[in-house]
Amino acid sequence: MPLYLLRISSEQTSFRIPSLLSIAQVFDFPIRFVSSDLFRGVLVVELQREDDVEKILERDILVLSATELFAEGASYDELHTELRNNMALFDPYIHTTFRITMESCNHRIPETRQRETINTFRYTGLQGEVSMKAPQVEFVIVEDYEWEVANTPEARYARDGNFVRVYFGRRIGIGRARSLILSHSVKTRTYYGNTSMDAQMGFLMAGQALPAPGKIMYDPFVGTGSMLYAVAHWGAYVFGSDIDGRQIRGKMKGKNTRPGVYRSAAQYGVEDRFIDCLTYDVTRGPIRRGGWVDAIVTDPPYGVRAGAKRLGRKEGKKPLREDPYLMDDGEYSHQKPDYLPPSRPYELANLTLDLILLARWLLVPKGRLVFFLPTVNEDYDEIDIPIVEGMKELKFGAGSVQDFGKWGRRLITMEKTALDDGLPPTFEDHDELELTKASGKLPGHYGFNKRYAAGFPPRKDGNRSESATPPNTTLEKREEGME
Amino acid sequence: MVRLITHNMLACHVKNCTKDNFPLAFSDVELVIRPAPENLEFINRFLPKLDWKALVDTARSLGDTTLPETMPESMTEDQLRALHHVLMEMHVEEGNMTCRGCGHVYPISNGIPNMLLAEHEVGR
Repeated sequence: MPLYLLRISSEQTSFRIPSLLSIAQVFDFPIRFVSSDLFRGVLVVELQREDDVEKILERDILVLSATELFAEGASYDELHTELRNNMALFDPYIHTTFRITMESCNHRIPETRQRETINTFRYTGLQGEVSMKAPQVEFVIVEDYEWEVANTPEARYARDGNFVRVYFGRRIGIGRARSLILSHSVKTRTYYGNTSMDAQMGFLMAGQALPAPGKIMYDPFVGTGSMLYAVAHWGAYVFGSDIDGRQIRGKMKGKNTRPGVYRSAAQYGVEDRFIDCLTYDVTRGPIRRGGWVDAIVTDPPYGVRAGAKRLGRKEGKKPLREDPYLMDDGEYSHQKPDYLPPSRPYELANLTLDLILLARWLLVPKGRLVFFLPTVNEDYDEIDIPIVEGMKELKFGAGSVQDFGKWGRRLITMEKTALDDGLPPTFEDHDELELTKASGKLPGHYGFNKRYAAGFPPRKDGNRSESATPPNTTLEKREEGME
Repeated sequence: MVRLITHNMLACHVKNCTKDNFPLAFSDVELVIRPAPENLEFINRFLPKLDWKALVDTARSLGDTTLPETMPESMTEDQLRALHHVLMEMHVEEGNMTCRGCGHVYPISNGIPNMLLAEHEVGR
């Protein structure tokens, strides 16, 4: 089977393999990872057909470009030797117009050497005209360097040519999903809130839910809807609920105003896929049956920007009213239009377990649950994810983590393995015994908001866990981390 | 927006309300028809999840009589189209959904239903 070279953004490296695997699953094609190091700027994969590459270019927000690999080597000698043995690869392109482009990862090649290097490929015997603007075929040379700091021109010249590996191939196309980062940026979104997910992460998360036309997906903590725009973009029908309807509506009031979530959905051309957004507490919700949702995708509130709430009264305060309250004006309080029932905090460990139980009931067999789980990095344990019969965690390697230093959030993807609907969750408070069942200790996300507010102890290893990769400096991430 | 596909999945969830809590009855309805692209495969796949009688009764209460009383053994394309129209294109923008069992009124404004329970309805 042919090999393909993907150039991949070095952001969110722990998300790239799950993302590719999910795309392969949506479109039902096999993919094999050939590179020994999966976290460099180039990734060699084996695919059956060029069509599969097109699917990746269309869907994967991290993929910059794709190239059919002709030859590779640790040096140009190795590369040329391999290429000379495969000259038949050029046959279809002997008379087409072409150009040769030179690219690099973690480095910028001086123009003079680019020209010199391109000229060493004369033996390929290409007879078509060179066309820089609109070639019929584009060949690419990619040099892959180690990541290191070189911030003077001298330093850059000194390391020029000291690449780890060099690749040659025919360009298939550039990543078309990359532009979604701009087009769906929160900055230009019609309606958003302080908990809106940044576009790139939203799409990475959405991809894990395997969205496709004719599927129906649900966000039980919909907020300002940012999870759903990405899911709906890939064709799925979506609906959401939130205990706080103001997040869905926005500030505009009165008849004939469109709720904020629908306005943003219209901006992205997916309004007809937004089936509904409803105000209710998912722990006391009106859904009457299970087994009909293809995926639950959600970024549950974990108390950093907003705390999770559920209906009820805080423990130790007065008990819940048993009967409606008749006000002095002769009306019942709950029948007033501005009535808001009391709510109490929803502890994250409880919420996480409930979410998995909800998915166990609501999802179709093989349906997916995708959510973010914040944890203090020091305390995270493999077995923090609650074990629920009929639900299985899907994980590649150490899992997908967005690392903010002392804490991080993990993207958890689970699949429903059960074939039946089972019973709806009761959403009773789980006691500590039940929460510690899996690991014998409270999970790393237990009481996360309190520990976040109190500040974290310094990390013992003193290092970022991903020190081998370049520091991530997207604006959204910095904001999150420094909040 | 409340579409009938959503409505068909919703039951009254007030504490101890288990009788006649589905389907919720519409009243004072402001109905809007918005054409939506058809995906009949989706409609067909969703069919077994629906409560047909509740759907037909609700559609008729809103003035749409295109659906047959009992669910056809296999749907013709025209029937799927009619179903698509009822499920996906009829939006209740304003109005109330009332539980026929306990009488709880769930108001809809700007297409968003408020299904929060009152304090005394939550239960433990």
